[in-house]
Amino acid sequence: MSYQLNCPNCGKRAVSEFTFRSEYLKRPAPDADFSVWADYVYFRENNMGHQTEWWYHRSGCQSWFLAERDTTNNTDHKSFWYHELEKNSSKN
Amino acid sequence: MKNRIDTHQYCELPDLGAEISFQFNGKRIQAYTTDTITSAFIASGQTLLSRSFKYHRPRGAYDIYGQGHESLVTTNHEPNLLADRTRVQNGMVVKSQNAWPSLEFDIGEINDTIVPMLPNGFYYKMFHKPKWVWPIAEQQIRKAAGLGKIDTEGRNADRRYEKRYRFPDVCIIGGGPSGLAAALAAVEEGKQVLLLDDNSEPGGHSLHSIAEVANCKNENLNGLPEYQAIQKLIDELAEFPNLEVLVNSNVFGLYEDNLIAAQCGPDLFKIRADSVLLAPGATDRHLVFENNDRPGIMTARGVERLIMRHAVLPGENVVVVTTHDGGFHTALLMQGAGAKIIAVVDGRETGNDEGVFEKKIRDLAIPVYKGLTAHAAHGRKRIESVEVGPITGGDSLKSFDCDLLVMAVGFKPQINLLSMGNKPPKWDAERQILRVSELPSGVFSAGEVHGSAGFARLYAEGFQSGKEAALSETSPGKVYTFKTERTAEEIITALPADIESGGKHHFICKCMDVTRTEAQASIDEGYDQVESLKRYSSMGMGPCQGKACHEAVARLAAQDTGLSKLDAVATTVRPPFTGATFGVLAGRAPHLSPIRRTPLHHCHIDLGVKFLDAGQWKRPDSYTDPQIEAGFVRNGLGMIDVSTLGKIEISGPEVIKFLHFLLPGKYAKFEVGRTRYSIMIGEDGILFEDGTISHIEQGIYYLTTTTGNQDAINSLFQWWLLVEDFDVQVKNLSLTNAAVNVTGTTAREFLQKLVDIDMSNEAFPYMHCRKATIADVPVSFYRIGFTGELGYEIHFPAEYGESMWNYLLAEGEEFDLKPFGVETQRILRLEKGHLLPGTDTDALSSPYETGVGFAIKDDKDDFVGKAFLKHFKERGIENKLVPYQLETDAPIPDDGVAVLDNGKIAGRVTSSRLSPTLKRGIGLAWVRNDMSETGSRFSIRLANGEDVQATVLDHAAYDPEGTRLKS
Repeated sequence: MSYQLNCPNCGKRAVSEFTFRSEYLKRPAPDADFSVWADYVYFRENNMGHQTEWWYHRSGCQSWFLAERDTTNNTDHKSFWYHELEKNSSKN
Repeated sequence: MKNRIDTHQYCELPDLGAEISFQFNGKRIQAYTTDTITSAFIASGQTLLSRSFKYHRPRGAYDIYGQGHESLVTTNHEPNLLADRTRVQNGMVVKSQNAWPSLEFDIGEINDTIVPMLPNGFYYKMFHKPKWVWPIAEQQIRKAAGLGKIDTEGRNADRRYEKRYRFPDVCIIGGGPSGLAAALAAVEEGKQVLLLDDNSEPGGHSLHSIAEVANCKNENLNGLPEYQAIQKLIDELAEFPNLEVLVNSNVFGLYEDNLIAAQCGPDLFKIRADSVLLAPGATDRHLVFENNDRPGIMTARGVERLIMRHAVLPGENVVVVTTHDGGFHTALLMQGAGAKIIAVVDGRETGNDEGVFEKKIRDLAIPVYKGLTAHAAHGRKRIESVEVGPITGGDSLKSFDCDLLVMAVGFKPQINLLSMGNKPPKWDAERQILRVSELPSGVFSAGEVHGSAGFARLYAEGFQSGKEAALSETSPGKVYTFKTERTAEEIITALPADIESGGKHHFICKCMDVTRTEAQASIDEGYDQVESLKRYSSMGMGPCQGKACHEAVARLAAQDTGLSKLDAVATTVRPPFTGATFGVLAGRAPHLSPIRRTPLHHCHIDLGVKFLDAGQWKRPDSYTDPQIEAGFVRNGLGMIDVSTLGKIEISGPEVIKFLHFLLPGKYAKFEVGRTRYSIMIGEDGILFEDGTISHIEQGIYYLTTTTGNQDAINSLFQWWLLVEDFDVQVKNLSLTNAAVNVTGTTAREFLQKLVDIDMSNEAFPYMHCRKATIADVPVSFYRIGFTGELGYEIHFPAEYGESMWNYLLAEGEEFDLKPFGVETQRILRLEKGHLLPGTDTDALSSPYETGVGFAIKDDKDDFVGKAFLKHFKERGIENKLVPYQLETDAPIPDDGVAVLDNGKIAGRVTSSRLSPTLKRGIGLAWVRNDMSETGSRFSIRLANGEDVQATVLDHAAYDPEGTRLKS
């Protein structure tokens, strides 16, 4: 893991400056079935290819943002803010 | 200095610097300041440099480049340095490794005579049964097989290891003709260029070539011998301020996004480059034949380096084995230095175009034998003769007496950095080398690493690649593009990987002492894939990590498992390319992980504190003895620095909605001036955090978190604010405020003296908060009871940290106020049965089982963790965290030991201490629910195997009713 991640605020930085939270997931409705909640908490797609993820620029501006990353090569990715999710979520 | 020359017929010798001396195995050796340990060693007339790993065979210098294990020595108590690369220093103490009692007479050499008795896996097969044999055998084996010994006395412990960073536009690895030409192209484009070379000076093999440069694009260089041309090129580059050259830099890894790791002395360079250009060159190919590891067998380039950089002639009677004109060049250099060339043995048949140097050798009437190669070397500590014969093996035809056998049988590109676990190398039939032709984006390559040869061509390729690297914004996967025709001179046909001339000492891997016979035996045992063969036989797994034998392993594995030459597969190449010391990888901790100190840090130092590392924080562990400090609190008055608590202020129109969502409690009826215990749980329903929450002003809430979660909770809140869109403000005051806890029976009396608010139990009860001033500094009080005594947490602006602490200590003198540390606090809280999340809980701790269910109000709409809490509630209680006490005088268990029920594991102890108040062991333990009744007894298994009896307590070992807190 030595790749660089693009922080929408700070630009390209070493991935060691960031904290990974998880894949982007939609929180289930409060009354959803327990199995749906269990999936939300414990199951991950872990896609081979593009996936959208939550990242936190821990050692930088301390912002949360989303990054769409190609998990096979780590290099080809784009980053954006949460409010830009819709226009960026074409591939997911 | 026996083997030193002062003139050479064909070239100028370098200035060797001042005369110095050093010690090798206790013997004084004369040297010059430009010498390496090896060059000075050979100059002094010695040969035997080290002993091999397994058979303790004598080994001497081989490539003068430090790629093999031969040159590993211990220098000034630092093990495993490369004698080939280490410059001598006056008075240096050098010792050989892996030999006992001495390098000259090594008892371990007996292993060599019993080779047939030591097949691969011998130890494991032999000492497999009975079971008790192995630990004893292992000790002896480890003693006999090994490298340098670590200096356990720490004589180099004061060395500073630094991490350094570079961000060049173009980073060039390798300072030979290609690398230097590439640097010129890139600096001319105005780029910031960093060039790394692993030797003490750039120039590569051109430094020791007298071939005349012709047809070079850089016309200034034509007509000069290479060693002068390269110097001219280096001088040209010195004009450019945008070029940085780092010598003695071993690049050991190339990682994603062009991150380069290089060791330069005690420094680790982390280099992030826009483009990387790899021009690592090639080294002489390793030839496998009988006794191919004997001292006195050296590579052509090694010999050339010794002559032209160190004025050292390593032999007098020389046989050169070659397959290309380069071998004749080496022969000529040796002849010019005064050696007698007994023969040049050329593996090529007659009829090839005679090269420049072959012609010169023939003109000197030196005997040349065509179509032959080395079959076997004789002599033990130094070769005495060599047998030669057909390249296909069989019977030898001739024998020559000699003291030096020079190997010039083609080149082995240093493909490691090009491959690095990425694209595997493939056998290139045209160029007769293992090659990596496809590179990741942003990585370029040029030169000998692709089998190219000749100064002009290396220069041209380097220049073109350098230009491409400089101009590329982002390039796609880069494919090597130099399609020019190879000249006959450049195509060096590889000899068979093993010259099959009989004998059982054909060393494929010299580092690990693996012979062809052993490799074949391993294949017979079923390890017939190159990767499993490597692991079983340990070929290529020694100090050189396959740099010498990688190609031979691939070719012979293919041959011996019946694959065609084209299907030869090399084992995967991974970092590190060269050895990196642990010191370099670790660096100096303070540079890399910040130390966080509280605003009261120096007050603690003045009081003679012992610090405790809590994450990045330095916290007071104790000032005296925690057992005694606990008494200060129980019987008098104590004060602890709790500035490391997370402190978050939350306000805004939707603050109640926010709190109801993030915390499991309910806050609609939470009045101003009140404080509550609060917990946090995740969406998985697991308890991960506890602290307090206070309603300090109308609509403003103050939440404290544990030290470890200070940053995490703040970032978690920021995340929720983003995705759930609450109209609240979250202010992180963790570093803005300092805090102390003043606790003990006289706490009220003491503080009342300092403030003008009413501190009485009626006006300021337990679990309430108040604002006040102390010495005109605004403070807030939180009356909580973590220690089990009357206590007030005082929060105040961090800039008053030291003065407030000192003021309180001075004012508290009449109450005998004493500071106490975190370890003391841990004892006090354990006496009260208070848990520490993360210490007493883990990722499976349901809050109901942990005993904090009282803090959960689940009759709310939606909050974090609600779905799982409901599930936990339905599932019921399976295990419970309970406080316990031991009998008086029972030994204190370690944290983490097992709880037993009828001899079976039924839980575990999470915290265990001696209670100074109760004078017996107390603790918290997870036990099965049916064992958790107050008064139940269970056993705890100590580390020494004995059991102690514990009794479950109701709530706390100390003051279970909490009267001391509340009054």
